[in-house]
Amino acid sequence: MTLAFVGGTHRTVPLALRERLAFSAEQAADALHRFRARFPGREVVLLSTCNRVELYAAGEEASMPPPAEQLVSFLAECRGIDAAILAPVLARQSDEAVVRHLFSVASGLDSMVLGEPQIVAQVKQAWALAQRSETAGPLTAGMFQAALRTAKRVASETALGRERLSIPSVAVADFARGVFERFDDKRVLVIGAGKMAHETLRYLREAGARDIVVVNRTADRADRLAARLGGRPGRFDDLVAELAAADLVVSTTGASEPIVTADLFARAETSREGRPLVVLDLALPRDFDPAIGARPGVWLYSIDDLGAACEANRRSRQREMPAALAIVDEEARRFMGDLHHRSTAPVIERLRAGWSETGDAELERLFRRLPALDDTARAEIRQAFERYAAKMLHSPLTSLRNESHSGPPHGLLDALKRLFDLKE
Amino acid sequence: MTEFISGISVVCFAASYLVALACEASRPLFRSGVRGALLVGFAAAGFFAHTIFLGWRAANEPAVPLSSAFDWYLLAAWLLAGGYLWLLVANPRTQVGLFLLPVVLALVGAAQLSSRAPFPQSPATQVWGAIHGSFNLAASVAVAGGAVAGLMWLIQAARLTRKRTPAQGLRLPSLELLATATGRSAAIAAWTAAAGFISGLVLNAVNRQRGLLETVPWNDPVVLRMGMLVAWLIAAALTARALARRPDAARVTAWLSLASFVVLTASILWGLLGDTRHGVPPTHAATSREAVP
Repeated sequence: MTLAFVGGTHRTVPLALRERLAFSAEQAADALHRFRARFPGREVVLLSTCNRVELYAAGEEASMPPPAEQLVSFLAECRGIDAAILAPVLARQSDEAVVRHLFSVASGLDSMVLGEPQIVAQVKQAWALAQRSETAGPLTAGMFQAALRTAKRVASETALGRERLSIPSVAVADFARGVFERFDDKRVLVIGAGKMAHETLRYLREAGARDIVVVNRTADRADRLAARLGGRPGRFDDLVAELAAADLVVSTTGASEPIVTADLFARAETSREGRPLVVLDLALPRDFDPAIGARPGVWLYSIDDLGAACEANRRSRQREMPAALAIVDEEARRFMGDLHHRSTAPVIERLRAGWSETGDAELERLFRRLPALDDTARAEIRQAFERYAAKMLHSPLTSLRNESHSGPPHGLLDALKRLFDLKE
Repeated sequence: MTEFISGISVVCFAASYLVALACEASRPLFRSGVRGALLVGFAAAGFFAHTIFLGWRAANEPAVPLSSAFDWYLLAAWLLAGGYLWLLVANPRTQVGLFLLPVVLALVGAAQLSSRAPFPQSPATQVWGAIHGSFNLAASVAVAGGAVAGLMWLIQAARLTRKRTPAQGLRLPSLELLATATGRSAAIAAWTAAAGFISGLVLNAVNRQRGLLETVPWNDPVVLRMGMLVAWLIAAALTARALARRPDAARVTAWLSLASFVVLTASILWGLLGDTRHGVPPTHAATSREAVP
């Protein structure tokens, strides 16, 4: 075993325990230093996010990674949790399963929101912290670089992360942007103080919206909201005029009846001069009479419409899973092949050294028996010997490389050691 | 080098545009990491070959661009292909090529069916001929561009009305941009078509007055169809302008732009198939008269 993993995610660890298990950046750095002191020569990376805490350990030959139970105890000790509580909810994996798991995690396949992109940055941060804490090494370097490459491939070769899943992001990016080319010259009217208004406005501001008017039944509340949302307050009594001036409406009141009826909108419509209007009705019950959506030039989206679009996007992401898993599988096999081949390096080195020593000894004997040879001739003969050795070693080394793709080539390595009398 | 340039044919750039169109059409079907580069590569290669081809003809043929029906169609296709390439580079995520490239290829096809013989010219009417051809070219390109924008507006509006997120690989420009493009195209098409028609009348009148070349009868099918086309385009532009402050203005303008394209296509087909004296080389008598100062 060269790779070991213990960890828990939102699927296995209850929220209360996950909160206790989570590491801040400082706590993670401290844990890595403690790991280095306790398990010298081993590599480790700690990934801690809202939804997962995972420890990836690696080591070779004399410094194999600690057994899983020691890793569980280490995590429990770092967070002051009883190991007996933690042990049943943490997963344990070794070698190729670790690689596949990390590649899936980095690609967002193991995330709560399938394909979410933030996890790539979190994996990068975990890796960077391990480097700074000097607990990273060649094995984890190869594995994390391959994981990030896999995540990049999954993002570019599948549609897993393309479709948006949150209602505000779908409302702005897929619908409002479909109507308007730019937002810096548009009037945004916010009606009410619902939670989703804030998030929707964040997306609108990112898209360039600057002219934001907030209206609320209570004037004081409108003032506070406007200050908080970065807009200016408007009067609820002027709703018709504000609707006439607006290009995009975000409505999130807690009213039990529609506040914009078809009649009220008809009064505003006469002053709109044919300008298109996008209405994001994020309230439940709805703030806008659905009949308004049938008016020409009005693009009305209720929370149900946006929710249905999000759900369609979620299903679309699920359909991309087989393609994403195929990429993870391909990259994991490639990485494991390289890792297995890497384990053959000491034997290859000894084999080459043995051939080189024998060749040098034979050359010396030859040159002593043929003293008339000049330097040019000697160099030619030396090169011929080296070429011969390289050609003779080519076939066994190729076989070794090919065998590495399907697992550690223990049989071939033993055979080479015995055939060529290679000492440890 | 000269041999290479002279070897470039219509097939070269038509094939490049066709491959670019195939790349565009495959976008909704599957994802590919290299398709974007292939798309830009083939579109740019086609446009480059197209430019070289027109430049070579301008430098080596006795006539200049716009001097034959063949060159006229190819120049219209070249302008649209250039517009497509610019849009492709400026906004690679939108799939304008799926709508624009078929028009480009249709114009190249129309060029292949058209005569390569130069339009009759005389020094006295060359300027009016160039003005006439240029305005008609601008009008046709504006109609085609407007129709493409109008069609995309209708598709995008249908998607937004059905409350669907954009389909994979089928991302279109915003309604705002498309409505602006459609409205401006309608206005440009009306003005340039009117200017082209009037300059054609002047050209014919000069020929008739000076006894130069062979004049086109006022009841010639080309004069009639161009008159009808101009009347339609002006009516469409005025309608779009009159409705500008109505909420359904963009939709009406989009449909009008598509109708204008149908009228233009019918007009071109009429011109290709009908019997006309427009653009016909002068008779012996006319040539003799031209020789007399």
